[in-house]
Amino acid sequence: MFSKKTTEQIKFETRPSNLGAKSFYNNPKYRAWIYQSFLFIFLIGFFYSIISNTLDNMSAQGIKSGFSFLNTSAGFDVLMSLLPFQTTDSYLKVFTIGILNTILVSIIGIIFSTLLGFIFGIAYFSRNYLIKKIAIIYVEIFRNIPVILQVIFWYTVFNALPIARESLNLGDTIFLNVTGLYLPMLVGESGSGFVYTAIAVAIVSIFLVRRWATKRQEKTGEQFPILWISLGLLFGLPLLVLLVSGVPFHFDYPALKGFNFRGGITVIPELISLAIALSIYTGAFIAEAVRAGIQSVPSGQTEAARSLGLKESKIMSLIVVPQSMRVITPMLNSEYQSLVKNTTIATAIGYPELFTVFAGSVLNQVGQAVEIMFMTLVIYFCINMTISFVMNRFNKRSELTTR
Amino acid sequence: MKAKEYKPLPDQAAPISTIGVIAWLRNNLFSSPFNIAVTIVIVAVLMAIVPGMLDWLIFSANWSGTTQADCVKDGACWVFISAWSQQIFYGSYPDGEIWRVNLSLMLLAGVIALSFILPARLRNKVSVPAYLFLPFVCLLILDGSHIGLRQVTTDLWGGFSLNILIAAASIIIAFPFGFLWALGRQSDMPFARSVSVTCIEFFRGTPILALFFMGSVMLPLFFPADVSVDKLLRVWIILILFMSAYMAEVFRSGFAAIPKGQYEAADSLGLGYWQKTLLIIFPQVIKVSMPNILATFVMVFKNTVFLLVIAVPEMLQVIMAALSNSNWLGGHAIEGYLFVGFIFWICCFSMSLLATSIEKKLDTSHKH
Repeated sequence: MFSKKTTEQIKFETRPSNLGAKSFYNNPKYRAWIYQSFLFIFLIGFFYSIISNTLDNMSAQGIKSGFSFLNTSAGFDVLMSLLPFQTTDSYLKVFTIGILNTILVSIIGIIFSTLLGFIFGIAYFSRNYLIKKIAIIYVEIFRNIPVILQVIFWYTVFNALPIARESLNLGDTIFLNVTGLYLPMLVGESGSGFVYTAIAVAIVSIFLVRRWATKRQEKTGEQFPILWISLGLLFGLPLLVLLVSGVPFHFDYPALKGFNFRGGITVIPELISLAIALSIYTGAFIAEAVRAGIQSVPSGQTEAARSLGLKESKIMSLIVVPQSMRVITPMLNSEYQSLVKNTTIATAIGYPELFTVFAGSVLNQVGQAVEIMFMTLVIYFCINMTISFVMNRFNKRSELTTR
Repeated sequence: MKAKEYKPLPDQAAPISTIGVIAWLRNNLFSSPFNIAVTIVIVAVLMAIVPGMLDWLIFSANWSGTTQADCVKDGACWVFISAWSQQIFYGSYPDGEIWRVNLSLMLLAGVIALSFILPARLRNKVSVPAYLFLPFVCLLILDGSHIGLRQVTTDLWGGFSLNILIAAASIIIAFPFGFLWALGRQSDMPFARSVSVTCIEFFRGTPILALFFMGSVMLPLFFPADVSVDKLLRVWIILILFMSAYMAEVFRSGFAAIPKGQYEAADSLGLGYWQKTLLIIFPQVIKVSMPNILATFVMVFKNTVFLLVIAVPEMLQVIMAALSNSNWLGGHAIEGYLFVGFIFWICCFSMSLLATSIEKKLDTSHKH
């Protein structure tokens, strides 16, 4: 209860009362009120002038306000969309497509940057001199070059690839050329539902088995080959169902028709360049975080584990990594958030994510800067809040596993 | 009888396999079958890539000349960089006036040097005002119309000097703002605290590119119709606000690192709030936050490249403009981007080395 008072308040209360120090302006409570009311008046004036100026300027320039523009037809095409899109569709649809594209590239970026980050972060501790040096060089090079330059660089490299007819060919199934990456697509026929169900069942049963195994180990100390059983379940069960139901799948291979490829999945060069640049750039930061996290685990922990007779691999997975996660997770959280914010650099190469299509193209056509920027920023805040929420939940768990 | 003198045998040399190059190779490259395999693969890959790369970059590169026609060899065409070097560093700043950019850069270097060499008792009194006045002095010198020089409008400023100057000018002005927001964030006044938190979280949560965009499309709407604010000035305002939010977080962790005893000692000496904060806490916060301040500066310095999106002629924008110049349509994009990347890498890497060395100097904790 004592700590809730400020030092100024304590000073005031413990001051001898005959000094006349009880005068109004010396009371920290009133002072706080006075300062804050000044701040309040300043803010009111500030926002009032901004808003009135904005309204004046907008009416002078003939810009409408409100969100009615969202239902107007866009009239331009979007380079890539996860939903079917026509030029006659509304701005709201463009907005949705922008959000989806942002989320897509964020997820790809987060997955690959985490992989790169953990690989290079752990490689830093390798006993092999070359691996260690490569990890350091990777981090120091890519962390210190502006990400927007990296994305433009990769895009330029991509544009130097051969044309469709001479595309790089991997076993006649995967093609890479200047117009993009072409992957075969798995198409489910009737009966494929059984396989999906089998995958779901496998995942659920893996969770159940893991739980049971942990409980049994806590009770009896017996270990269960959880990794092999999990892998067996994950691949075996769907495979079995697949064979029993008569392989209800076929691949849709991309094929050269005319000047370009048809069929399969097309990944546009903008998406690839952006994903590469973001993954490599953020990966360097994550590698640094992982290195710091592992270094933060006191060496006494490793030594104690060794003296207990644990294998080196078990020391890493059971002792060091769980404790280092406490340091790594908050840093991962901020790296993921900055990755999402950095997706906006897509505007330099024209990948149609939220910022490029909505704050770029739509804003150019409509001119309602305030509404459009507001909507765009709200989405980035929402995505980052979701990441923050998930990572904080994860952090709670990793905190529990430590002392 | 004389005691027999004890004569130790001469030291035996260490086994050849535990010293020198061989031992190093064994321990660091060939310690296990897995490591042997990895080493061989890495060396093979390096052998395949590095000679070709070096050849392209250095040995068969074109180093001398003035026009694209001088690039006759197979390698990189560095002539492109040297031909455009003035634009790359100074933008379109007029030829005869470039000394003003150099003077501004030298002033910046001088003020930084001053804060290191001045004796401690003068440091705060001289350096702090020097830093705070520097951006405005540079502004006067570069613009020139108020001090009797030829006016150079801001659309002519550009190149790498712009990257440096705008980053430095923003972080300098962001210092007091960030400090104020950090104080607000840990103050006891609920309204002041929530205002600070809102500011910090807003500017930290918004992509810098969106902020630049807002600076170019929204900020003009905020000013009265008859006031037109220069584009570079708007960018500066945006960068200051953005940096302030990050600096506030840096200072917050700095505040947390100051032992409570320091506050209590200041209180027991009878210092008031501002005396305590500015005389006791602030110098210590600056000291412990130095590595983080440098890291933040590296971040804003890298972020200045983002300005190309709103067509401010910073370094990369100049390169891109040069690439589309009709005399240089030979596809020198890779050279240009590598050069920009190299320059930024040198600057950022040396600053992060500096930050690490300061951190090591400050770190007196014991490793467990």
